[in-house]
Amino acid sequence: MVEINNVSVTYDGVEALKDVSLKINDGEFVFVVGENGAGKSTLIKLLIRDVKPDIKKGAKSSMFVNGFDLVQLKQRRVTELRRTIGFVFQDYKLIPNLSVYDNVAFVLRSIDAPNRYIRKRVPQVIALMGLKDKIRSMPHELSGGEQQRVAIARALVNNPQLIIADEPTGNLDPRTSAEMLVMLKKINARDTTVLVVTHEHELVKKLGGRLVTLKRGEIVFDGYIEPEVHHKKEASTV
Amino acid sequence: MRASSAVYLFKQGIRNIGTNHIMSIASFFILTVSLLLIGFTAIFYANINSFITDIEGKNEVIIFLDEEADDEYIEQLGEKLKNTDNISGVSFYSKEEAFEDIKKDMVNAEDIFGYIGDESPLPDAYRIKIDDVSRMSNTLYTINSFDHIEKVKAPYDFVNILTGLRSIISVILTVILVLLIVVSLIIISNTTRASVDIRRREIDIMKFVGATNTFIKIPFFVEGFVIGLGAGTAAVLITCFFYDKLVTLLSTETTLLAAVGSNGFIPLDSFLKYIILGYLISGAVISAAGIVHSTRKYVKV
Ligand SMILES: Nc1ncnc2c1ncn2[C@@H]1O[C@H](COP(=O)(O)OP(=O)(O)O)[C@@H](O)[C@H]1O
Ligand SMILES: [Mg+2]
Repeated sequence: MVEINNVSVTYDGVEALKDVSLKINDGEFVFVVGENGAGKSTLIKLLIRDVKPDIKKGAKSSMFVNGFDLVQLKQRRVTELRRTIGFVFQDYKLIPNLSVYDNVAFVLRSIDAPNRYIRKRVPQVIALMGLKDKIRSMPHELSGGEQQRVAIARALVNNPQLIIADEPTGNLDPRTSAEMLVMLKKINARDTTVLVVTHEHELVKKLGGRLVTLKRGEIVFDGYIEPEVHHKKEASTV
Repeated sequence: MRASSAVYLFKQGIRNIGTNHIMSIASFFILTVSLLLIGFTAIFYANINSFITDIEGKNEVIIFLDEEADDEYIEQLGEKLKNTDNISGVSFYSKEEAFEDIKKDMVNAEDIFGYIGDESPLPDAYRIKIDDVSRMSNTLYTINSFDHIEKVKAPYDFVNILTGLRSIISVILTVILVLLIVVSLIIISNTTRASVDIRRREIDIMKFVGATNTFIKIPFFVEGFVIGLGAGTAAVLITCFFYDKLVTLLSTETTLLAAVGSNGFIPLDSFLKYIILGYLISGAVISAAGIVHSTRKYVKV
């Protein structure tokens, strides 16, 4: 669960987020859209504590992510927070000289997970992403969509409560972008909260759901939009 | 940390060396050369120091007495010398002894001694040792003020030069050592920074999935330690090989060294263990320090 009240982020005098308040319940799926420089990446960095919330005196600021109080959070507990979040990088960030299996296992090995668990869990998530046949492949042998699914498998492998993706469809063609978002919806259906930053406005409109729009560091829209069922059908038949 | 994780991180470090083999080889050679420069500077200093100590230890002053000094006076003077500050090992060297010694040295020159006869033409003398060479001039001044002194023979200038030389050499070599260490640190820091850059992606992933700083850094340390220990070992082998060669080469000059009172070069065996420890420890420490420096900026959760 995410609960942000009146939080700002300032980079050397530049206010990237202004008095933002946002509540995301467990199991929700949220799209975040906005122009370049609107503060989308900053919002994500705030959630994974890559930047610190700027607490103003007087303003009743507070911020909780998965039960962690980010206003009070000690530096050494940042790792604990991050282990409850799965992160999908825009450019996938797969490690080129590691196989699909090792790329996914890399996450668990990095956080001191037992070997027995790694051997059981890694093939599970890879299969869940439909990549069973590619488990021994190297990243360069995969298509863009497959690489992105490895990135999602990697975000999922530690059973996070929240998955965050920063423009995961940025480098994909429209069709694979759609597949990608559908894949994230599937994960959401298994009770993981998902937050996706995207500029695929058309796709978002077709899929529908909760939409948060950022503009110059402020949330200017936060609500539900209906899926455009007809358009979706047309798109998939073309 | 689990044992399996420790093994994994260790393997990662080793893997890094391989993935990054050009950088690893470069670091290895640079570090080996730096260590050798540091090592030979230290060994050179140790030898110079030992030469000077040898020569100083043998520094003997001979006090020749004039003809008018009688037995009673000679005895008085002996006591006086013993009570003088900065003097030890006072021994009387009679003219007869001196004459015998000369005869022994010149076995084939009996003809000459025939002319001279049995009476020693040499003066009586005292042999003394100076404790603190740096205060020698004061002590000599005191001795010269005693009566019936014909001449004081002291390796005064030579010792003075050596003592001065030692402090100059100490300063110069210390500066060189410090510079060498700093330069190696900078080079190692830069090579590992390149290694950190190559693994930026892995570091980013590790940071975002909640890996601890320790976990992120251990492979870099393993990489640095292994390269450092490797370079240290190479430096030990090269030093042992060349030091013996060098000593053999220069030993033709040891007669010269012996003439000025030195025992010659320090034998390798007597400092081998310091060399091994010194090289391995400095190799590992320089590497590790370079890595701490290069990862500090990037590897921070
Ligand atoms: N590290 C930074 N230092 C200074 N300014 C930054 C930094 N990161 C982002 N900004 C600024 O903050 C604003 C929001 O950036 P960002 O969150 O990356 O926007 P978005 O992801 O929506 O394009 C922009 O004006 C950007 O220039
Ligand atoms: Mg962005």
